[in-house]
Amino acid sequence: MDVPAKLPDPVPSPILRHSPSSGSAMSRSLRSVVDMPSVTFAADMRSDSTRGAESTASSFESFRRAGSRPVPGVARLPTRRSASERAGSQRDLRDEDARFVYINDAARTNAPPARFPDNSVRTTKYSVLTFIPRNLYEQFHRVAYVYFLILAALNQVPQLGVFSPVASVLPLAFVLGVTAVKDAYEDWRRHRSDKNENNRTASVMVDGVFRPKPWSDIHVGELVRVVANETLPCDMVLVSTSDPTGVAYSNLKTRYAKQETLTTPPEQLAGAAVIRCERPNRNIYGFTANLELEGGESRRIPLGPSNIVLRGCELKNTAWAVGVVVYAGRETKAMLNNAGAPSKRSRLETQMNRETLFLSAILVALCSVVAALSGVWLRNHEHDLELAQFFHKKDYVSDDGNGNYNYYGIAAQIVFAFLMAVIVFQIMIPISLYISMELVRLGQAYFMIRDTNLYDASSDTRFQCRSLNINEDLGQVRCVFSDKTGTLTQNKMEFRCASIEGVDYSDIARQQPVGEGDRIWVPKKMPVSVDREIVELLRNGGETEQGRHAREFFLALATCNTIVPLILDGPDPKRKIIDYQGESPDEQALVSAAAAYGFVLVERTSGHIVIDVLGEKQRFDVLGLHEFDSDRKRMSVIIGCPDKTVKLFVKGADNSMFGVIDKTMNPDVVRATEKHLHAYSSLGLRTLVIGMRELSQEEFQEWQMAYEKASTALLGRGGLLRGVAANIERNLRLLGASGIEDKLQDGVPEAIEKLRQAGIKVWVLTGDKQETAISIGFSCKLLTREMTQIVINSNSRDSCRKSLDDAISMVNKLRSLSTDSQARVPLALVIDGNSLVYIFDTDHEDKLFEVAIACDVVLCCRVAPLQKAGIVDLIKKRTSDMTLAIGDGANDVSMIQMADVGIGISGQEGRQAVMASDFAMGQFRFLVPLLLVHGHWNYQRMGYMILYNFYRNATFVFVLFWYVLHTGFTLTTAITEWSSVLYSVIYTAVPTIVVAILDKDLGRRTLLKYPQLYGAGQREESYNLRLFIFFMIDSIWQSLAVFFIPYLAYRKSTIDSASLGDLWTLAVVILVNIHLAMDVIRWNWITHAAIWGSIVATLICVMVIDSIPILPGFWAIYKVMGTGLFWALLLAVIVVGMVPHFVAKAIREHFLPNDIQIAREMEKSQDSHDVTHPEVQMNTMARA
Amino acid sequence: MPKYSKFTQQELPACKPILTPKWVVSVFFLVGIIFVPVGVVSLLAARDVVEIVDRYDDACVPANMTDNKLAYIQNPNISKDCTRTLTITEDMKQPIFVYYQLDNFYQNHRRYVKSRNDGQLRDAAKANQTSACEPEKTTADGKPIVPCGLIAWSLFNDTYSFTRGNENLTVDKKDISWKSDREHKFGKNVYPSNFQNGLLKGGGTLDPAIPLSEQEDLIVWMRTAALPTFRKLYGRIYVDLKKNDTITVRLSNNYNTYNFGGKKKLVLSTATWLGGKNDFLGFAYVIVGGLCFFLAFAFTLLYFIKPRKLGDHNYLSWNRHPAGR
Repeated sequence: MDVPAKLPDPVPSPILRHSPSSGSAMSRSLRSVVDMPSVTFAADMRSDSTRGAESTASSFESFRRAGSRPVPGVARLPTRRSASERAGSQRDLRDEDARFVYINDAARTNAPPARFPDNSVRTTKYSVLTFIPRNLYEQFHRVAYVYFLILAALNQVPQLGVFSPVASVLPLAFVLGVTAVKDAYEDWRRHRSDKNENNRTASVMVDGVFRPKPWSDIHVGELVRVVANETLPCDMVLVSTSDPTGVAYSNLKTRYAKQETLTTPPEQLAGAAVIRCERPNRNIYGFTANLELEGGESRRIPLGPSNIVLRGCELKNTAWAVGVVVYAGRETKAMLNNAGAPSKRSRLETQMNRETLFLSAILVALCSVVAALSGVWLRNHEHDLELAQFFHKKDYVSDDGNGNYNYYGIAAQIVFAFLMAVIVFQIMIPISLYISMELVRLGQAYFMIRDTNLYDASSDTRFQCRSLNINEDLGQVRCVFSDKTGTLTQNKMEFRCASIEGVDYSDIARQQPVGEGDRIWVPKKMPVSVDREIVELLRNGGETEQGRHAREFFLALATCNTIVPLILDGPDPKRKIIDYQGESPDEQALVSAAAAYGFVLVERTSGHIVIDVLGEKQRFDVLGLHEFDSDRKRMSVIIGCPDKTVKLFVKGADNSMFGVIDKTMNPDVVRATEKHLHAYSSLGLRTLVIGMRELSQEEFQEWQMAYEKASTALLGRGGLLRGVAANIERNLRLLGASGIEDKLQDGVPEAIEKLRQAGIKVWVLTGDKQETAISIGFSCKLLTREMTQIVINSNSRDSCRKSLDDAISMVNKLRSLSTDSQARVPLALVIDGNSLVYIFDTDHEDKLFEVAIACDVVLCCRVAPLQKAGIVDLIKKRTSDMTLAIGDGANDVSMIQMADVGIGISGQEGRQAVMASDFAMGQFRFLVPLLLVHGHWNYQRMGYMILYNFYRNATFVFVLFWYVLHTGFTLTTAITEWSSVLYSVIYTAVPTIVVAILDKDLGRRTLLKYPQLYGAGQREESYNLRLFIFFMIDSIWQSLAVFFIPYLAYRKSTIDSASLGDLWTLAVVILVNIHLAMDVIRWNWITHAAIWGSIVATLICVMVIDSIPILPGFWAIYKVMGTGLFWALLLAVIVVGMVPHFVAKAIREHFLPNDIQIAREMEKSQDSHDVTHPEVQMNTMARA
Repeated sequence: MPKYSKFTQQELPACKPILTPKWVVSVFFLVGIIFVPVGVVSLLAARDVVEIVDRYDDACVPANMTDNKLAYIQNPNISKDCTRTLTITEDMKQPIFVYYQLDNFYQNHRRYVKSRNDGQLRDAAKANQTSACEPEKTTADGKPIVPCGLIAWSLFNDTYSFTRGNENLTVDKKDISWKSDREHKFGKNVYPSNFQNGLLKGGGTLDPAIPLSEQEDLIVWMRTAALPTFRKLYGRIYVDLKKNDTITVRLSNNYNTYNFGGKKKLVLSTATWLGGKNDFLGFAYVIVGGLCFFLAFAFTLLYFIKPRKLGDHNYLSWNRHPAGR
């Protein structure tokens, strides 16, 4: 066992008595994500046999590592913080890092050089003046746009002027314009909400009285008074509240005003007190400050996260609260955390860049051909051109007949030809594709958000699309990493059973419903049933040993926590309903359970708690509280009992507790309890062990001195306090253990089954102990009986390596077996956090990877948040598999950010996970419709749209290219320049966007019925190089048809270029639209309107262009449409152009059908069946 | 709760066509049925067209100057008159279209097509508007040329007159241009000025007394051809010609195509609804139609040889390879 080298300094806990444990624990988990590189974890793996369960959801961050090698990928975490921030939360405050806030003296607080910002917020990106430059600047971060800008600029060079200036910038301007309008609209909405926010009023102390003032005018140092249900305007340190003990509640969190300020009328604090606090930072769970009272005796009072209330929270259950503003406006923690959604890039887009490079190569090739041939042509005609009427090389007018007009020699002409060719063929790189993709993703997001199947009625949460760049990644996921608590389970804890003094009380048969009877106090969330025997024991056990222990057990449950009871008025005046407020659902469950058994926590103030013990109110003094931390994995309280004894109650995870329990005291009980613990966790229960010790007077005094010293220390307070706690928490007597059930969310087993059928590997990463994890694994059908389990659960490096090697050989053996026999044994890997630490440390990652990918299911238990990210990274680095991480808590943030797709469950554990996620939803089971239905659609649609856009633009470019070969290689286009620029933005843009938003290759029912269809996305069937090549070949063929059929028919005729150009324009537009139409799977009226409308719109545009008398092509379309040849050619072009595509489609769909094709046919026959037998449909609906 | 609508749930009523064998075969069959007759009709129509083409640029060069055609054409003192005799191969019903055909003349060359100003052509007030007309923009002393630009400058100026025996065959040069051009594109009060006054003459001159809207040869010429080999309408002859008639063409061979190896041809042709004598379209239709018939039969055969039940779930990949997963 290694000695802890350097322990992470926790958030100093200045609040001696009432720090909500899990809140600060969470802060640590958050910070350890963020500050990882600077924290050195020690490997103090206690290698005792069974490891205890954990007390709270937040105790997952039991993350230790030997050495200081950062977890792979940590450096990639986007959260960056300044050194000062880190210092602020890590160490104690130094003067130069501090900000001084003079209470009720804003002038002095803000005196130079301080000048803190006022409370106005601005989330807008732009102002009216800066909009155009800034928006353009941002848009031009896209390389493609720079390319088009350069081409537009080149076009302005007279020698290269292919298009008229207006026409040359039109496509770019259009695309920029559409994006700008979109951005402006979004920004305007932000502006509006900012304005509303800034104009809200709060009551601020001005000249000794509270007066309403707009939020934006609040300054640091001012005193603000907030009443119940009001939103807090800025981050404030509580000064006083309506509660005589100084308690205030904001959105479930309990906050306290200091006793010292509570008693002073707020206006008298002016000049008398200064708060020295850390600089603004993003850590919403951390706050370090000191309150310095300058009055008579100078005193320093430590302030911590429980003394600050944050902007955006609401004051609850408290009549009023007064606070002093410490951070305002953009420096509030809420605003600092308001960073936008993470910016990720979808895999499809990355692949698309590869094809864009191919297209660039084709473009360069075309241009080179044109440039070279133009050189050859000029050389062959060198002597002719002087007189040739169509060339007129010499300029007789301005240069006395000697100079050349616009001719600079063959070499220069070749260069010009090349550049002009790039300008003419520029849309080979589809400019409109980028904006189309953005619009399509918006549309897809709209449908995902609106989908009633992704709406969680129980929490009234809709699906959220926070990142708009990776919709299509949802269709390619191969590996899901899921958190357990709160994600697979509801995170609604319920006390199930207890083992008291070695006696197991978990027999269901003995359970009886909770009788409300003559209760005065009714907990809001009452357990459903109680154990009759325990009730009996408590009531009538009297002075028996067993009875005493049971009382102490429940007293421990009622006292050893940070729960704050809130008395609510029920409908029955005789009964009081108690709402137990606290951040740890486990503690709530325990306190509610204690209440159900007659130990009702009724009141909590800063110094004491009142417990209704079996109908008799008793007051207990809370002398000290050692809050939970992830190193000790336990918490303890020191209670002064009414009988003047001082008792220490400790509860914690089993492995931590058995280390501090005196096993010699009652070895039988210890053994029995261990057995029960094992049984509980095998049932999937979360277990906690409870111990106690009576303190002697000397012991208590010794502790008290150490405690006071530690808690007022200015340096290393956290470490000192931990030392004090470790010193007192020893030689405990085992009281018993509790089992808490965390119920599975609805539909989790079914969802996991579906995901597995879809070929998605599900990894569950949990902080629970192995038995609990395996049991939950079975109950959510992650593990099945026929699976072979590989368990890696090692205490040392060597054994870990050995079990890995064993696992590999086992995997190989099974693999070799399965080659001949068809039935493959499914494998499950169960690995625990310790082993992971060893593996990551000793570079056995490859071996782990080898085992892991061979397994169908991987269950990682006892993992720390950063390990979660490491595991995701393990897969991400070594395979091209798309990874998805789903979680609900702050401890899942690293994993969510690491995975290709991060999903947050908007649940009970706060908004951290959601803020870091790409998508957020209410339930785990929504993953199925999200991936199997929306993901499938998004991927298929986006893949097709990209290919189609490439094909569509290439076809047009090839048509231009064939013509250029017949113009002396001079980049003339018969198609009018307006049609060229409108082609990709108007003539053909709308149908592809509409189809990409609305088309469905298969219906929802089919996709859910056959999850295997999801494989199409995983195998990249909708977008790959082969398809790209097919599309390009098709594109060349169609361009040949478009060009050469009219060419051959009009050879040696009087056809003028405008008429022929119009024919080509219409032919190519109709052809590409028909191509799209042929690939559309579902025709609804919108699709019809878009496709046929586009063709009509093109015709109208061409007609309008040809109605302008000063364009050379005036009236050509009307003229040419009057000839039969025109229509005959148009028909011929379309038929000849489409035949290969049609033949290929017919062959592929009938003779080489893929799953989607078969499923589509099944769907179709199902539909026709439904029409004839509607009642059957109802049945299948019910089944589906 | 998001509002339920068929649209937001993506459940709009939709038609889901599937390419069943029946569809495939019928589509090919249908295309064949349409294309073959249309092709045959087009072929017959093209066959009906009588076309007489006579290349005269070489033939009209005097025998002593065939080595130096450029000197011949550039020398204003040599008469450019030339006489050609054409024999009518088939009966030709009036109207007979008289075209001139230029080969290798890049009327679609970038320098050329851009060198015009359409504003100037329609509006007398915009005579000075000569932008884009380089290098035939202004005269040496800076006066604007109307019509300016290379296209107008290179106006074709060979002329033809026809006699059959002693009978003069009048060439009607009215309405050879587009009505829309005469009425909207070329101004009724825009008169040529400073035209063809430069050092190098590109082609024909224009009568300064006649407004552009009536200069039909110019209007025809300025409808630039799409391809480097093109025909332009010269006029119409409203006389039926009989087989074996001998037509004498008196032409003045003014236009210089010798400098770039171009060819000049005189074309007499009748016309049908499909235009001139070009049987490409007919062949294309017949071939495509035939191919579609072939494909229809090929697919029928394939569907018989390798039938597949539609929507049979045994074809799903995971059912075909049950051990796959």
